[in-house]
Amino acid sequence: MASASLPDNPLLTSAKIVIAGGFGVGKTTCVQSISEIPPINTEAWMTAASETVDRLDPGIDKTTTTVAMDFGRRTIGTDLVLYLFGTPGQPRFWPMWDDLCRGAVGALVLADTRQLAASFPAVNYFEQDSDVPFVVCVNLFDGVLHHPLEEVREALALAAGVPLIACDARDPQSVARALLAVVEHAMARNPRPTAGALAAH
Amino acid sequence: MPMTYWKVRPYVLTAGRTRTRQPLLVHTLVSVPYYDAVFASGLLPEARSLYEHARRARSVAELSAVCGMTLGVTRVVVDDLAATDRLQIHDDAHSLDFRLLERLRDGLRQLA
Amino acid sequence: MRRILIVGAGQSGLQLGLSLLAEGYDVTIMSARTPDEIRSGWVMSTQAMFATALQTERRYGLDLWQDQAPRIEGLHVSLSAPPGERALRIPCPLDEPAQSTDQRLKMATWLELFEQRGGTVHYQGVTTADLDGLTRLGRYDLTIVAAGKGDLVGVFDRDPLRSVHTAPQRGLAVAYVHGMTPDPLLPVPHVSFNAVPGLGELFVIPALTVSGPCEILFWEAVPGGPLDLWAERRDPAEHLKLTLDLVRRYTPWIYDRCVDVELTDGRATLSGRYTPTVRRPVAELPSGGLVLGMADVVVANDPITGQGSNTAAKCAYSYLGSILERGDQPFDREWMGQTFERFWTGAGEAVTGWTNAMLQPLPPHVQQLLGAAAENPTIARRFANGFSDPNDFQEWFMTPEAADRYLASVATG
Ligand SMILES: Nc1nc2c(ncn2[C@@H]2O[C@H](COP(=O)(O)OP(=O)(O)OP(=O)(O)O)[C@@H](O)[C@H]2O)c(=O)[nH]1
Ligand SMILES: [Mg+2]
Repeated sequence: MASASLPDNPLLTSAKIVIAGGFGVGKTTCVQSISEIPPINTEAWMTAASETVDRLDPGIDKTTTTVAMDFGRRTIGTDLVLYLFGTPGQPRFWPMWDDLCRGAVGALVLADTRQLAASFPAVNYFEQDSDVPFVVCVNLFDGVLHHPLEEVREALALAAGVPLIACDARDPQSVARALLAVVEHAMARNPRPTAGALAAH
Repeated sequence: MPMTYWKVRPYVLTAGRTRTRQPLLVHTLVSVPYYDAVFASGLLPEARSLYEHARRARSVAELSAVCGMTLGVTRVVVDDLAATDRLQIHDDAHSLDFRLLERLRDGLRQLA
Repeated sequence: MRRILIVGAGQSGLQLGLSLLAEGYDVTIMSARTPDEIRSGWVMSTQAMFATALQTERRYGLDLWQDQAPRIEGLHVSLSAPPGERALRIPCPLDEPAQSTDQRLKMATWLELFEQRGGTVHYQGVTTADLDGLTRLGRYDLTIVAAGKGDLVGVFDRDPLRSVHTAPQRGLAVAYVHGMTPDPLLPVPHVSFNAVPGLGELFVIPALTVSGPCEILFWEAVPGGPLDLWAERRDPAEHLKLTLDLVRRYTPWIYDRCVDVELTDGRATLSGRYTPTVRRPVAELPSGGLVLGMADVVVANDPITGQGSNTAAKCAYSYLGSILERGDQPFDREWMGQTFERFWTGAGEAVTGWTNAMLQPLPPHVQQLLGAAAENPTIARRFANGFSDPNDFQEWFMTPEAADRYLASVATG
């Protein structure tokens, strides 16, 4: 495992993959599996109003809720840092989702087959509200795939172009393969620029 | 047309700020290019804390966490310090940059 | 140079920000989205703006779409009885044109302009914790909250004396379309206002969107009624299909113009509902910082009168005046309160009263006025111009007494 501080390199750059999905689906576990530092948990409090997911309605009541997100990082080589950001569970914090997803290479949307519906809002978000490429990933809680992926695809009404895979969120290698699928999907969506386009840079 | 409405020249032009404004992302790295203890001692608490913690490169989100400041406050303070060149904002690898994706892919393959 | 922080990059936030920059202030805006995200995002509003509001933009050179956006020359009011049959039709000409420019286009461009002109923008969905930290920082002389559709609204207390509703009064469904044909009975650009008494209203608004001129089909559905198919967010194609089904059934004269319509783009629909609410304009954060609410943060009316963006522009302009007049004096709690009251008495109160009245079944005196307007263009013109300055409704429209007086004066005049 790499050291806690980053290489001292003025050319160091960073990239980001977002880990999304419903409540308790394994986002933090996933970040933890691959991060070289313990996941950093940050909280912001919001004066949240209604329980609705209606973007128009700011609601009437006044209650304060806390939005938690956590993130970890993994240094790749001497000049690239990959950040992994777990989204706060509920989609009504969508301004924060926009912030987390801005500039991301891609997103991994985790799903738990015992409570698939919990991941609907995350899938909806990436299908409708974001242009970030995403891969859906069933977290195999006990190492077994209880439903064939084709059934999961149907239940989530996933478009044909969205990759669907499975992983074990506790296993670093399995998580690395899932992240690899995200990067490969992003590469497929943005094919290698032609020589002409490169020359224009 | 628009300039006829100006009473004063824009602040930015007179302040000599040159950074082309890429949004500061949560994973954007910032670092102090050369540490100056005298400069640090003259800073207000939020800026001072950020300046100290950015002596090694850190992302905006990490700085927010270690300084105990919200993301919004962190962005404002980073931007203020960067405007004086006391803080370097690293280029974000553009998420669509094919070479970046290749490096990431190769790095993840080694972990997989 | 005084430093102002504006949270929210919509009609009011950006208009105020750009005007303050022009007046030499150091202005920072927090925007939850980048210009590109705004431009390629979902539609946000119907935003028909009338002359009084457009004038506040024009003063600072911000009406950049004047030559491209359709010039809306009037209203065309229809009442149906029974549902599906047109019982009354009133062409209502405007003295000066109204215009609707898709906020995706307008806000994206304004935000870019704001940065080019030297304003500072942070891309940040602001939480209450941020607001608390930002005011505590002591960096800004004044913090204004202009993000009317986010959670921040909740930091401002509802004003029970000025708020009459506790639940949404309409379900809203907006669709931007290309391909509508002109109204054969009034073939100039106009806002078509079709009331289906008891059930809701359909508006058709000519607008300029990212892909050029278009029409906005906008249903206002009485909650729980047969028009209210909008409790959940739908796929855009299904949203358009349901919109057109309702148009065919309840306003067939509009359906005749819709044979070839298609959505303007993949994010051309919007649905939702909210509770019309007036809030107290000043909020105190846990660390003691004070923030001033603006536009729909503090005065959110139902869109039935199409006043949201108009009120936002007027609020921005009114606050601008208060800020400039304040000079170097502190923007304290008292000043904040006075700043809001100036806007409230100048524009907010009248628009709120009129909009809430229009949400109710039309009282006899209003039915009588509209009946008279169908016969008398002077009355129809006054009705249309009221959308530009709703203060005028107080004089002749809001109470039976005023209506009687007005009708008598028109009869003798
Ligand atoms: N057995 C098993 N347990 C797991 C696995 N992944 C996560 N868990 C457990 O499931 C629980 C929830 O996992 P988290 O990683 O905290 O889930 P989360 O998505 O971050 O949850 P929230 O942030 O609360 O929405 C924890 O108790 C984890 O230890 C897995 O693959 N197998
Ligand atoms: Mg978690």
